[in-house]
Amino acid sequence: MSLIYRRKSNDPDFTHAIYDYVGEMRPFIKRVKKPHLLVPMLLFKSIEWGIYRWHKTPIRRFYGVKGNELIYMITNACNDRCPKCGIWERPEPRDQHLMIEHFINCLKRLHHNLYQVTLTGGEPLIFKKDVMLIAEEAKKLNVPMVTITNGRFLDEAFLTRYKKLGHILVVSVDSVEKEKWNEFRGRRNFDIVMPKIMLAKEILGDQLRIQSVLSKESAEEIPKVKEWCKQHKIQFNVQFNQDFGGTWTNVISGEVAYDNDTPCAARKNICIYPNGDVVKCFDHRRIPLAKEPLGNIAKQDIIEILCTKRSTEVSKIMKTCNLPCKNMSCNKPQTLLFN
Amino acid sequence: MSALIIPCYIKSQWDINCLYRLLESVQNQTRKFDKVYLVDDASPLKYELPYDFAEHILLNENGGPARARNTGIERALASGIEHLLFTDHDCIPEKDWNDQMTGFLEQTSFAAVGGMTYSWGNTIYDYYHNINGTLAGKWLLPDKKELWYMPSLNFGMKAFAAEEFPFDERFPTAAGEDVDLCLRLRSKYRIGFCPTATLWHDYGYKNAFTGFRKFVNLFKKYKSSSATVYEGHTVLMWDSSESIYKGNMYESNLQTKIQ
Repeated sequence: MSLIYRRKSNDPDFTHAIYDYVGEMRPFIKRVKKPHLLVPMLLFKSIEWGIYRWHKTPIRRFYGVKGNELIYMITNACNDRCPKCGIWERPEPRDQHLMIEHFINCLKRLHHNLYQVTLTGGEPLIFKKDVMLIAEEAKKLNVPMVTITNGRFLDEAFLTRYKKLGHILVVSVDSVEKEKWNEFRGRRNFDIVMPKIMLAKEILGDQLRIQSVLSKESAEEIPKVKEWCKQHKIQFNVQFNQDFGGTWTNVISGEVAYDNDTPCAARKNICIYPNGDVVKCFDHRRIPLAKEPLGNIAKQDIIEILCTKRSTEVSKIMKTCNLPCKNMSCNKPQTLLFN
Repeated sequence: MSALIIPCYIKSQWDINCLYRLLESVQNQTRKFDKVYLVDDASPLKYELPYDFAEHILLNENGGPARARNTGIERALASGIEHLLFTDHDCIPEKDWNDQMTGFLEQTSFAAVGGMTYSWGNTIYDYYHNINGTLAGKWLLPDKKELWYMPSLNFGMKAFAAEEFPFDERFPTAAGEDVDLCLRLRSKYRIGFCPTATLWHDYGYKNAFTGFRKFVNLFKKYKSSSATVYEGHTVLMWDSSESIYKGNMYESNLQTKIQ
């Protein structure tokens, strides 16, 4: 008997149903040793098969425990030139950028099981209009949202709307000293961004967070950022440096700080690239089976993509792959992230 | 040392009769249980226990059979029990059931065991369940040397496995929680099959006419958990399995028993 759940729109065609039915009945018939019971037994088996195949079952898994985080790298493009990151070096061509409707559909399909939707980049606020559309949809669907930004494009109108929606804004800050800031950002914008962070604090209050990347280059700066956050009563988190194509060096020499018993995000993360490609983790490509994306939300339904055999096999490998991405904050319990 | 854990939710006189019948068969086991935990999951109907060998644990709130079994597991582990067996109030184990199940766990390297389950009644639906193997577990194919899954009504675990793999209390009803447990357990250990550990299950069909609705509702209940189980175990679910019935219960190479 099949326990595999299929959505209606994902149902295979009629011939597949016949094939499945015959496949179930043929071995079962051999078990019926009383000829006069053959017909009723076939009838009962057909009823059971029909229930398993078509009886509706709720799409919400784990009975209300929301298990997934949807992470959308809305763009590779960025207005900063941080040496820690190389994503900005490969901005997606305009014609390959995902239409926002596809992501909204994806969000709607998954919202029952999402505890959070996260927007990252590049710099997400290059697509400020799209960010606000997602934020409003997430609010309607009752999904908490987190946007990770460099803060350059923050303004009063955006912050005021964002505040009303109740979502979290995380600003990436690796130094609070002007010279280091400008060095770490690759742009001389300390005097522009710092006032925006203060404005964000004023408008967003507790909805504003600061996150720093810990590497050998930033190690001396992080305690100062932490102290600065403490003074301004802003929640703060440190993330280990990861290989996103930048030149910064890891403080833990590329090794994994956690063992195999540490839960991995593989089971929960659903990540979308700027062109709509779906992966279980942005470090996916390190796994041979996962070199190619699992699918693309512009072409396929997200649940159809997640239910493929390769998707589940990749999840299994990722559970014990112990790649450096296990150090990332997506593997930490949410309650421990900011303090 | 072995313990029996029985979760129960008593809502009718039929349930009480079933429970008394089970306790009688537990009392008559050729190998006595060191502990018997009857975990009442906040039943709406009150009842007295005619036997004093069972520890009657009354839960304040209904939390489903997974929570009830976990309560029993906690007590058993705290008492130093080595082998934990599980059944339901509507079951009747053969006299040597504990001997067979516990003996299997003692003599083999399997971390868990399932026995052979038959229908207690004589209706056409009972016949169906017998040949369908509805509650008789599933072979892991192609070798049929271990189980893919075993329903919790005829199930046993060694203490270390029970400690490591409790039931998932997010399953609110008696559907899917045992499949989930077995799939998690199989990620690390193996579940063996003991065909000589016979247990009877009373589905409660009175006759072919009145039983039809019960029959349909039974499978609807099982189906209701399938999405949950599938989402949690997408990879392990790909393994092929075959339900066990009398005709294939000895197809396994039982030499694995002495591994």
